[in-house]
Amino acid sequence: MTAFLQYIVTGISDGAAYGLVGIGLVVVFRTTNALNFAQGVYAVVAGMTTSVLVLHMPLVLAAVLAIAIVTTIGGLMGLITIGIRGDTTPLTSLIVTLGLTLIAESCELLIFGDGPHSYAPIANHAWDVGGVLVQPQYVLLLGVTLVVTLGLNLLFRKTIVGNALVAASDSLRAARLVGIDTVTFGVVAFGLAAFLGALGGVLLTPLMPVAYDSDLNIAVNGFAAAAFGGLVSVPGALLGGIVLGMAENLVVGYVNPQYELTIALVIMLALIGWRARHEVSTA
Amino acid sequence: MSVPLLDVDGLVVKYGGAVALDGVSLRLETGERVALIGPNGAGKTSLLSAISGLVRPAAGTVRIDGADVTRASPGRMVRLGVSMIPEGRQVFPSLTAEQNLLLGAFGRVARREPVTALLRYAIERGRIMERLDGVYELLPKLRELRERPAGRTSGGEQQMVAIGRALMADPRLLAIDELSLGLAPIVVQDLAVFLRKLNEERGVAILLVEQNAQLAFELCPRAYVLEAGQLRLEGPSAELQRNPLVQTAYLGGGLEVAEAR
Ligand SMILES: Nc1ncnc2c1ncn2[C@@H]1O[C@H](COP(=O)(O)OP(=O)(O)OP(=O)(O)O)[C@@H](O)[C@H]1O
Ligand SMILES: [Mg+2]
Repeated sequence: MTAFLQYIVTGISDGAAYGLVGIGLVVVFRTTNALNFAQGVYAVVAGMTTSVLVLHMPLVLAAVLAIAIVTTIGGLMGLITIGIRGDTTPLTSLIVTLGLTLIAESCELLIFGDGPHSYAPIANHAWDVGGVLVQPQYVLLLGVTLVVTLGLNLLFRKTIVGNALVAASDSLRAARLVGIDTVTFGVVAFGLAAFLGALGGVLLTPLMPVAYDSDLNIAVNGFAAAAFGGLVSVPGALLGGIVLGMAENLVVGYVNPQYELTIALVIMLALIGWRARHEVSTA
Repeated sequence: MSVPLLDVDGLVVKYGGAVALDGVSLRLETGERVALIGPNGAGKTSLLSAISGLVRPAAGTVRIDGADVTRASPGRMVRLGVSMIPEGRQVFPSLTAEQNLLLGAFGRVARREPVTALLRYAIERGRIMERLDGVYELLPKLRELRERPAGRTSGGEQQMVAIGRALMADPRLLAIDELSLGLAPIVVQDLAVFLRKLNEERGVAILLVEQNAQLAFELCPRAYVLEAGQLRLEGPSAELQRNPLVQTAYLGGGLEVAEAR
């Protein structure tokens, strides 16, 4: 029983990070109709950059700097992906961001080498809750994720800027016609997504070391999380991330660690299949 | 002679190598109602897109109040008082009718990136809310629909949302791409009456692109006929209506001939 609860607790924490990555995908998709394959890269680069910077400065400063760098990279990737016309389809964006991901991996390999990177969590002790070990890092990760989810949900539902972001994907033509600068808004959406991915990466890396090729794993988990909300729901992506995190930890604990990525893929495909049927039948 | 509100001179639009608009010149005075008719593929949408800044013309000029605005961005055109209702209405389906309307005002105050846009919007909020009330007064139906996602309203209601959204930018010129597209005749009649009132009482100039020539001639005292990227005819609607070429091609004259045989 204790083991079971331990898997659940760890799963919620991992899942919060997947949720952040998934929310990044949602933000980009809802505003530009782009599927951002590079979403995993942001988490990896942020984690690795922090692991190097932390040797020279306090952890918080290193993390903030890493997140700022990655956010900028994300904005630039956005400009490349959506182009100067701010116009893209899910398929072309997927191909462009896949290309950018491969380039990013090569750069990571050159700069950071091929080994795994990590650093110490905010606190090294763990609370013992009835035999279940709860690390402060878990609490931080979940707390930050909840705040971010609430904030973004408010942004999209209640503010005019959130509406303008949604409008740009609803009808690009009309958004431009009412005077929204859709290219700048798209770049900001990519920057925001990179910020979220970087935040997830910085918080997760002490628990789960990252290497240059970890981005695929993170991206697939993020996609699976986002698929829960049909790629358009911010809370849906968080919920998806947490369900996924728990499922993976249970499978890794009780069955076989090798199935971790498989679980994410199976869940994602099942959801996409279910949605496709559901939408056809209600259309 | 007075400076026209809109002065288009020798406008050329190309898509790749294909010429969609081949040197079109058109004028519209302040407060005027002008129609533009023509068959499918004539270049009507291309002309409006070039005026509104959505596509860059290859040659020619667009002037507003005499000032050259040929390659201005869509946002700049909105701020200059030119608003467009796109072909097929293009409401934002997942946003409510009211959010659609507010975005019409947002586009006018916003410039470039979101943070300052948000600030400018907050500063202008009082005036924007007043304008929203004004639009609800003009189109009371929109008040009923305010909470409904625009994608879940009828075609006629969507056209109202699109008109209201354009009015939220407080335009001096409203360019409408196919008012009647896919709408029942009675709905079109109501909208036409509304537009005439808007023009006569508030002085908003109207440039109406239409396939329905009858409607265009009824609503607009002056009209242009565009065919294959070039202007074929222009003049008072009353005269154009009597023109045999127009009767055959646009007013069902051809049908009468066919029936007579
Ligand atoms: N984005 C585009 N890319 C390439 N060609 C285009 C594009 N838009 C329009 N065209 C072409 O330009 C010409 C004019 O098209 P346009 O849409 O301006 O005509 P229209 O008069 O509005 O027609 P309709 O009444 O069918 O709306 C057509 O031959 C069309 O095929
Ligand atoms: Mg057209």
